[in-house]
Amino acid sequence: MSLRSLRWLLVPLLVVPLTWLLFTGFGRDPRVIESPLIGRPAPAWTTETLDGGQLSSAELTGRPYVVNFWASWCVPACVDEHPVLAAAHAEHGDRLTLVGVLFDDRPDDARRFLDRYGDAGYRHVLDERGRISIDFGVVGPPETFFVDAEGIVRAKMTGPLTDDVMARHLGTILPGVSR
Amino acid sequence: MRSWTLPVALGLAVALIGLGVTLGLRDGSAAAPDARAASLAAELRCPDCQGLSVADSPTRSAREIRAQIDELVAGGATDDEVREHFVARYGEWVRLAPSAPAVWIIPFGVVVAAAAALIAWLAARRGPPAIGEASSLTDAERRRLREEADSLDA
Repeated sequence: MSLRSLRWLLVPLLVVPLTWLLFTGFGRDPRVIESPLIGRPAPAWTTETLDGGQLSSAELTGRPYVVNFWASWCVPACVDEHPVLAAAHAEHGDRLTLVGVLFDDRPDDARRFLDRYGDAGYRHVLDERGRISIDFGVVGPPETFFVDAEGIVRAKMTGPLTDDVMARHLGTILPGVSR
Repeated sequence: MRSWTLPVALGLAVALIGLGVTLGLRDGSAAAPDARAASLAAELRCPDCQGLSVADSPTRSAREIRAQIDELVAGGATDDEVREHFVARYGEWVRLAPSAPAVWIIPFGVVVAAAAALIAWLAARRGPPAIGEASSLTDAERRRLREEADSLDA
């Protein structure tokens, strides 16, 4: 091969991959990390609840449930989404279970948070060693997983829930809720 | 054989050996359990900190992931099984270095190609063309050049 033709090959060889890299790189939101859990069975767990009882994920299957990872130190995001979760529990609590999981938080601090911002009435569980968070691949609160009645993860929200996001994700697990 | 074929071949050989050594070093299944657990922890991204590996981080998640690595290694899991355990939870993101071989090879390929092109270009530039042989002027052009030069002198 002559040098001249090699030189012309070099330009597309560098420009094409670089353009592709920039195109795909800028096209995505760097904060969105797709969860590999979606479409797969939700991780199983058994742990203590904030009020001193026990709860197991096995008790939840049979109807859709929402797992919300939060912490009292997660401000303002967890404070902002708190009313959204409370409203979902009030509206759909008869056919949907909500569970809060404490992410790297002290039970006393979590209780104070609920005293201050209102205890919506759904249960919260402790995750002392972080096992549940790791099994769900949680990076930091708030993160929320939507699990259908068969126990399959259907959607995940990273960051604070809003009414719109809540309704859209609930639509993946609750029939009759607009998506 | 052109003058630059040998350096290019040598460069390629060195790059391939380097690649082989790098890939060889990554496969540490034969090492001691503690060393394996430590090197696996160094490969995994700590989920709740910025840009640190699980080995370098003091957070609760990192501590628990290290404990799980120890358990998995003690239970007889291979390095790939341990990596897969965490990739299944966090996604490919949890690995500090990408796993697809293509992603490893592309940078080597680019460096080798660039080095080859540079060597070829330097080799082509260095050797001055032998008079008469490499000159592409026709006799007519040569005559005309001489005439032009003469007319300038005059």
